[in-house]
Amino acid sequence: MTAVTAVTGHTDTDHTGHTDPTDDLDDVDDLEGPQGSQGLEALEGLDGSENSEGVDRSDVSGVSDALAAPDASAAPDALDPSGLSESSAPSDFSGSSSYSSRFSHSRRSSYAEQDSRAGEGDEDGDRAEDGERAWDDGLIARRVVVGASTAAGDFAAVTGAAPGAGASGSSSPETSPSYGESAAYDTHSPYENDAATQHTTVAYEGGLRGRLDALRELIGLSRTRLDSKTLAEAGQVLDEAAARRRLSDRHTVVALAGATGSGKSTLFNALAGVMISETGLRRPTTAAPIGCSWTDGAAGLLDRLGIPGRLRRRPLQGPDTQVLQGLVLVDLPDHDSAAADHREHVDRILGLVDAVIWVVDPEKYADAMLHERYLRPMAGHAEVMFVVLNQVDRLPGEAADQVLDDLRRLLDEDGIALGEHGEPGATVLALSALTGEGVDELREVLGQFTRERGAAVRRIEADLDAAAARLRPVYACGAGSASARGAIGLSEEAREEFSDRLAEAVGAAAAGQAAERAWRRHAGKACSAPWLRLWRWYEAQRSPYTTGRHVLRPPADEESTARARVEHAVRTVADEAATGLPAPWGQAVRESAARGAQGLPEALDELALRAALPDGRPPRPGWWPVAVLAQAAMTLLQVVGGLWLVGQIVGVAEPNLGVPVLLMAMGIVGGPCVEWASGLAARGPARRYGYEAERRLREAAAGCGRARVLDPVAAELLRYREVREQYVRVARRA
Amino acid sequence: MLQKAVKIGHSSHVVTLDVRPQLLDALSALRERVAAARFPLPLPGAPRARANRDELLAQLDDYLVPRLRAPEAPLLAVVGGSTGAGKSTLVNSLVGRQVSEAGVLRPTTRTPVLVCHPEDQHWFSGMRVLPQLTRVWVPRREGEGANGVGPDGERLLRVETADTLPRGLALLDAPDIDSLVADNRVLAAELICAADVWVMVTTASRYADAVPWHLLRTAKEHDATLVTVLDRVPHQVVGEVSRQYGALLTKAGLGDVPRFTVPELPESAGGGGLLPATAVEPLRVWLAHRVQEPSSRKQAIERTAYGVLASLNARMPELAAAVAAQYAAALRLTSAVDDAYESEHARVRERLQAGAALAGDALKRWRAYPLDCGPEELLDAIAESLEALLLCAVTAADERIDDAWRREPAARAPGLLRHGSRHETALYEDDDSPEHRIGVAVRRWRRELEEHAEDEVRALDRADKNALPDAEVVAALLATALLGGRRARTAGETLAERIGAHGALRLRDRGGRLLTDYLDKVLGAERERRLAPLDALDVNPEPQAELIAALSVLQKER
Repeated sequence: MTAVTAVTGHTDTDHTGHTDPTDDLDDVDDLEGPQGSQGLEALEGLDGSENSEGVDRSDVSGVSDALAAPDASAAPDALDPSGLSESSAPSDFSGSSSYSSRFSHSRRSSYAEQDSRAGEGDEDGDRAEDGERAWDDGLIARRVVVGASTAAGDFAAVTGAAPGAGASGSSSPETSPSYGESAAYDTHSPYENDAATQHTTVAYEGGLRGRLDALRELIGLSRTRLDSKTLAEAGQVLDEAAARRRLSDRHTVVALAGATGSGKSTLFNALAGVMISETGLRRPTTAAPIGCSWTDGAAGLLDRLGIPGRLRRRPLQGPDTQVLQGLVLVDLPDHDSAAADHREHVDRILGLVDAVIWVVDPEKYADAMLHERYLRPMAGHAEVMFVVLNQVDRLPGEAADQVLDDLRRLLDEDGIALGEHGEPGATVLALSALTGEGVDELREVLGQFTRERGAAVRRIEADLDAAAARLRPVYACGAGSASARGAIGLSEEAREEFSDRLAEAVGAAAAGQAAERAWRRHAGKACSAPWLRLWRWYEAQRSPYTTGRHVLRPPADEESTARARVEHAVRTVADEAATGLPAPWGQAVRESAARGAQGLPEALDELALRAALPDGRPPRPGWWPVAVLAQAAMTLLQVVGGLWLVGQIVGVAEPNLGVPVLLMAMGIVGGPCVEWASGLAARGPARRYGYEAERRLREAAAGCGRARVLDPVAAELLRYREVREQYVRVARRA
Repeated sequence: MLQKAVKIGHSSHVVTLDVRPQLLDALSALRERVAAARFPLPLPGAPRARANRDELLAQLDDYLVPRLRAPEAPLLAVVGGSTGAGKSTLVNSLVGRQVSEAGVLRPTTRTPVLVCHPEDQHWFSGMRVLPQLTRVWVPRREGEGANGVGPDGERLLRVETADTLPRGLALLDAPDIDSLVADNRVLAAELICAADVWVMVTTASRYADAVPWHLLRTAKEHDATLVTVLDRVPHQVVGEVSRQYGALLTKAGLGDVPRFTVPELPESAGGGGLLPATAVEPLRVWLAHRVQEPSSRKQAIERTAYGVLASLNARMPELAAAVAAQYAAALRLTSAVDDAYESEHARVRERLQAGAALAGDALKRWRAYPLDCGPEELLDAIAESLEALLLCAVTAADERIDDAWRREPAARAPGLLRHGSRHETALYEDDDSPEHRIGVAVRRWRRELEEHAEDEVRALDRADKNALPDAEVVAALLATALLGGRRARTAGETLAERIGAHGALRLRDRGGRLLTDYLDKVLGAERERRLAPLDALDVNPEPQAELIAALSVLQKER
């Protein structure tokens, strides 16, 4: 142990007596990672696609694990970005306003990322849960301080590695972990603090406020439909926005982030004009974030970042101080060293600051860690992002320009809009914090940026964009084909089809047909010629199988509705309604349909009984007696003619063959004629009767289905539409 | 197997490992098993398992097998490290001329470069080591093949010769281990795994980075012959930084690893140029010593080779476990399908017994029969009803499967989940929808039923030919009796009246069997269809046992 201490040594001139050897040991421990777990986890970052598993890392897992690419290109079926804007014109992202078009680039890239996650589905959710190890855990890992006490404890633990001193001689920072207290530099009393809070709030423009309100509404509306994991991030955005809003809007919190050894602390000191943050050769140098505020009243902001009082500094007063009025600069630890807790600091604070200066150096500017873990997910935050190529003094001649161009190219590939030619986007600068070259330029840009006081709002907007993009798969419709898109909800045909299926299930068509035939049968029976009737009866008697006559009406059937058909109809209509809907909402629609379908067959059974035509003889039309009379007359004619003939034969009547034969013939021919005519005449009423029977059943079934299934489904769809409108409001930039 | 007959150029310092042919056989068997392992289901562990498999395979092909076959082949030292660590500059300086392009733009080295003595060239020009890399001989001009990928998409390895290198030593300049280009990272890992001597390059500003440390730990786990170079150290702080680095190495249990420090000189920053020979002399001497001194050469080779062999003890079970996990997931998916279809099957049978098929339209027809409804209409309605019943069962089963599979990550394998809604499938593959298939099956059932009825009627021995019952009527009554359950009792009675109790019983028996057959057939076919994509993935439990068996054979042979 002591040997290590000796080797490690101190690179800085430590005035405050921080020579406790354990500090250095801690430092080394940080790097080493007792079971190799810390370092490995830091590394795990590089293979994003697989870190959700809990693999025992002590195995001989090999090299390429670490080097395997987070395969972003495995994006499955890409969501069409225009799908959302299908039915509501104002939601169109590519709207004509120049403001939105400026952002199209960055947004597109975040969609691309979004798509790739969409394929990962639930797994993704799991990963978000153990965000600690996640690689692509969001635009900025939004890990808030769990509790002030634990945070303070953390700080107490890491302070050992942090520089105790190094600033001006008057600095005797307290090691008390309570950061609200009287730190050497931040001497705000709580009252002052409150006062500042009261009148300085971040001025939210109407647009942003509207979007935040819409997001709140959205979360409220969809809480019952989506799992809390999905909504957690959006909730975070709301919380952070509210938290930032309560704090000073005169200040802009800017973090200096970068890889170890890229010169964050040197740049920090160069901007402050004073040696605040320890710089050194020992890697990693800075272990805990250090804040420096150019203007008073930033205590609340620094509290929010969890920077304790003893790590708060003030810049050297000078002419440059005015330029950076309102700036709160935070020097972050590195994000890529083997010390895993450094990365946690970085991830936490990056979620809370207004803007970030990424410090890269010629050696590390193309590191996969930087680009894949931070820059790509943060592409939407380009407006509140500076990328600074430090250490250009190490590059000879035009090499600096080459590297800068290459850096620009890489940033462009990351999907970060570059703020060239006056367009909004990330500012890319080359400088050397050591020689001071280019620092003034950064100071100028930073001063301008701070004076605008828009960073907080823009950052929240970017967060909102990212949250909206992430929520897109659960709200945006149109994942399906072109025909399915646009038409959310049930088409008229689908409703018709549903009614038809239900009618089939209760047997409306068959019932109608049966009623029609029964009516005609009755009519035929009533109006047929008696002789023909007799003959038919005889035929029926002769045939051996005429017991099929249902003399007795069978008892009412218990389950007269075809259960399978009802079930199928409901399933089909629910599928139809869920087509094109995002999965959770489709599921909700299906569930509501299934709920409605419970008891539907029973209800239909009952309805069928009630709606069926009354038993007994079907009603008769007015002409029926006439037809019967005519038939009787015909029979009478035959009889009369026959009697007459018999009379002639017997000699009762005088022989006149013509008239009785004519009468008989009339009767014989007329009987069937009347039967035929009445059959023709019966066709219309019979059809009407059958149709009536069918209609009654069909309407009853359709009404029941509408009330029990279609209405709940429509309500669910309406709810989705409402939610989607809210989402469109969230997703739309002012 | 052991190619001792190979012409040995530098026999003066040939060291042969004690390799028995049985070991090589066991190793090739193991290699085949590893190559045969497949991880088609997208389980959480599958990408890692796939990467592990590929890496192991690459290491076996690139390094272990060729090394054991030809122990006298030159020592391959692979120079690996982070972006901008100065690997190419180091190689150039060791060789003494520019063989690998160095520069300020990252990533610099995209095509790996192998440098060896001219007389050793034959070892590397063939496909003995790194067989999947295509050799190129001329340095590529700007623009073409800039990504280390040849015109046909194959990966390239540039072979250079330099007589400044000692014979029996080859240097390989690998791409960055943390490159933004993902393929480069994979390639770098592969190349490093193929090394006899791992030369890890890091810099003053990088020595605490996480990525190189992981590599160092891997080297330690593999027990490879390792040497680290701390590059680009500003000369003012050489002592300081190298002390700290040494402390970190000691902490990581790598204290005995040879460590060389190269100061940052203007040449190393500017790229292009070479470092003065003195700056890299210690490393050069160390490497030359590894090659020229037989005992240290033997030690270097053996250490790495046996380290890799030993690492198989952990890596093979891991692969086997991943294979087993695949099989378990496939089983879960299959059983979800089986469960769904079994329960639906039971439900359909129950419904049929309860006469649920004689409902709705069919029931109304039956009530109207025979006065207001013909036998054909009745049969039509019953067949349709049966079709609806089966279709409902199949879609319900599908829904249950979807539900169960949605919770399974393994079900996300391409082709397993049905895409789009039923609506769309109906739109696009009308011929292939379940409606169609079930319709066909039910029509066939009906035809067979009618044939049975005809047979029975024909067999009736009636004197009065006119009194023979109509076959159609018999078929309709039979279908009603079969599907109608209790409420169609009269149908059975009528049937018995028409063709006699004995005949009716026989006919009902046959019809019942026919119905059961068709029910099983339809549901079975749908189940098979559902399982077909999963079966096509061919996930079975054998590879797990084979992997373990191959490993145990190897262990016995060692």
